Amino acid sequence: MDELSVLVVDDEEDFVETLLKRLRRKGVECDGAYSGEGAKSKMMDREFDVVLLDMKLADENGTEVLKELKSLSPETRFLILSGYASASAGRAGIGNGAVDYLIKPVEFETLYEKIVQA
Amino acid sequence: MTQALNAICSRPGNAGLGAGLRKKKINMKMYAATIKKDILEPRSRIAYYQRQKLILILIVTLVSVLPLIGISLLSLHYYKGSWIEKTSAELASLANSRKETIELFLAGQDNLLAGLMDLYPSEFLGQQANLERVFNATNKSGVITDLGVINQGGSHVAYVGQFTEQLLGRNYAQTDWFAEVMRQGRYTSDIFSGFRGVPHFIVAVANPERTQILRATVNSDLFNSLLASAELSPGGDAFIVNRAGEPQTPSRAGDVETPFQLSELPTSGTSVIQTDDFIYSATSLNAGQWVLVLKEDIDSSLAQFYSARNRVALLIALAIAAIIGTATILISSMVNRIQEADQQRTSLNNRVLESERMALIGRLAASVSHEINNPLQIIEGQAGWMDELLSDEKEESVENLGEYRQAIAKIRTHVNRAKLITHRLLGFSHAGEMVMAKTDINQVIGETVSFLEGEANKNGITIVREFQADLPEILTDSSQLQQVLLNLVNNAIDAIGKDGRIIISTAPVASGGVVISISDTGPGLSDEVRQRIFAPFFTTKNGKGTGLGLSISFNIIQRLGGDIKADNNEQGGSVFQVFLPDASGSKRTRPQEKR
Repeated sequence: MDELSVLVVDDEEDFVETLLKRLRRKGVECDGAYSGEGAKSKMMDREFDVVLLDMKLADENGTEVLKELKSLSPETRFLILSGYASASAGRAGIGNGAVDYLIKPVEFETLYEKIVQA
Repeated sequence: MTQALNAICSRPGNAGLGAGLRKKKINMKMYAATIKKDILEPRSRIAYYQRQKLILILIVTLVSVLPLIGISLLSLHYYKGSWIEKTSAELASLANSRKETIELFLAGQDNLLAGLMDLYPSEFLGQQANLERVFNATNKSGVITDLGVINQGGSHVAYVGQFTEQLLGRNYAQTDWFAEVMRQGRYTSDIFSGFRGVPHFIVAVANPERTQILRATVNSDLFNSLLASAELSPGGDAFIVNRAGEPQTPSRAGDVETPFQLSELPTSGTSVIQTDDFIYSATSLNAGQWVLVLKEDIDSSLAQFYSARNRVALLIALAIAAIIGTATILISSMVNRIQEADQQRTSLNNRVLESERMALIGRLAASVSHEINNPLQIIEGQAGWMDELLSDEKEESVENLGEYRQAIAKIRTHVNRAKLITHRLLGFSHAGEMVMAKTDINQVIGETVSFLEGEANKNGITIVREFQADLPEILTDSSQLQQVLLNLVNNAIDAIGKDGRIIISTAPVASGGVVISISDTGPGLSDEVRQRIFAPFFTTKNGKGTGLGLSISFNIIQRLGGDIKADNNEQGGSVFQVFLPDASGSKRTRPQEKR
C-alpha cells in the first residue's frame, strides 16, 4: 500500500486539494494537476500507479488527454471521473485504456476502494 | 430556456450555483420554439374545415346555379313575349279572315237584291205573286227570312214572309232607314230581334231611279256560327258591336266591353290592343258600321307555354339538386382528404416539436447536472474530510463533537439526495447509450409487470396479460424498455386508484414491428391532458409526481426508433400504445452528440 502512487487530475482545485489530503492520510503517495498539460508535466517527472482523471477538463478534450497520458505511461492505470452520468463517456474512457469510470459525486470510501482495486 | 436558467441562478439559495455557472463560462445555446396556437386546438381546425366545406359548396352551387336560373328566366321572358306576339298576330289574322267572310256575305245580300231589281222591272216585282216566285227561287238557303217591295211613297206594296199581316201595307216614309236608302241607294240595319224574336238585320236596296226599294230581312245566325267557329281559347270571345258599342251578336262571356275607342276605329285594317289579361283584335265591318272584336284570354292562350315552363322548371330544379348533391359529395370528400392530410401534418409537427423540446431539455439537463455534480463532489469531499479530522480529535476537547458529526452526516445525506435528482435529470439527456439486443418483448413485459403486480393487487387492481405468441424479433434496449413499461403500468395503477383492471396486450404490426397496448379502467384523459401528456414537468398527480416519467418514456421510445401514443378507450379509461420497429425496420437512433 505504501508503494501506491496516485495523480489526481481535475480542474476543481478544492476537490483535488481535499482528495490529496485524504489520500495522504491513507498513506497513498499522491499529487494533483489541474489541467491536461499539468498532468503531462507531472507524469514526465515521475511514474504514477493510478491516475484519477476528470473527463471534462476546462477547454480540453478528456479523451484526447487520456490518450496522451496513456502514451506517456502505458503501465499506469487510469480511473475516469465525470460529472456526466454518461455511459458513453465512461465507455470512451475504457475504450482508450481506462480501467473504470465513476460518476460525481462519489464518496471517498468508494473512490479509495476503486483506486486500490485499480 | 435561458430565462429558466436565470431563474434558477437568481434564487437566493442558488446564488453560489449561479456564480459557479458564470465562472465556468458555460456555452449554452439558446433554443426557441413557437407552437402556433391553432395547431393545439383541433376543435377550431374541425370548425375551420366545416366552414370551408360550406363556403366551397355555396360557391360552386351559386356559380353553376345562378347562370342556369338567369338563362332560364331570360329565355322564359323572351319565349313568353314571342308567344304573345304570335297570339296577337294570329288573332289579327283570324279577325281579317272572319271579316272577309262576313263582308262577302253582306255584299252577297246587297248584290242579290240589286241584281233582282236589275233583272225585273219594278212593276213585276211589285206584284205579290211575282215576289213570292222570286223569293222561293232565290232563297234556297233560308238566309233571307222575308222579302218586301216598298214604293217611292214608302208603302209596303208586296211582302213575302211570316208577318204579312203586320207588315203588308205599312208605310215607312217617315223612318230613318227609308230616308237613308232613298239617299244612298242602299241600307243595312243594325242587328235586332224585333217582333220576330230572332236576331236579324235588314238590307234594303233602291233602284237607280229611286222609284222602288227591295227590302230583305236577313237571319244573322250565320254570323253567330261564323264567330263561334273562330278557334279561340276557352277564355276567349268573338262578337260584333256597332260603333256605339251595342252588341250585334251575342258574346260568349256576356261582356262586350273593349279597350278600343270604337267611334274612332279606322274603317280599314285591324287594330290589336293588349291589356293585362286579354289581347283584343278589332276590325270594322259593313262599311265601318260595325266592329268585329276578337278577344283572347292571355292566360288561356299561354296554357301550353305555362305547361312547358313548368316542365322546364322541374328539370332545372332536378339539375340544381344534382349540382348541389355532386358538389357536396365531391367537396366533402376533397376537404376531408385535405383535413386528414393536415391532421397528419399537424400531428407530425407536434411530434417533431415534442422531440425537439425533449432534446433541448436533455441538453440543458445534462449541462446543469454536470455543473451541479462538481460542487456536490466538493461538498461531499469537504464533509468527509471534516469527518476524518474530527475522528482525530479527543472527544473531551471538542465540546460539540456529536453535533458536528450529526451536521456532517446531514450534509452527506443531502448531497446524496441532490445526486439522485441530478442523475434522474440526466435521464433526459441523450448521453445514456442504448444497448440494443434481440429481445423477446413478451418476456420483458412479463418480468416488468411482476415487479408491480404486488402493489396492483394490494389496491384491488388486476393485471391481465393478452400476449400474442410468435411476435417478430425486436432489436431494442430491454432495460430502457423496462423503464418505459414500469412508468406506464405505474401510471395506470395511479389512474385507477382502487379496484380496476389493467390490460397489457401485444400484437405484431403489419408494417413490421410490435405494438404494446396498456389500457386501464381509470377516468381516461381529457383533451387538454392528452395534448400535453408527454410534456416535461406536466403532471396530474397533484404534486406526487415529477412530471418527468412520460416525457422520459417518450424520449426513450423515440431513441429506440419507435413511437408512443396516448388515447382514450371507447369503453372509458386510457390506453397507451408503444410501437417498436422490428429488427429489419429499426430506425437509426440519433447519433451521439459530442460533449
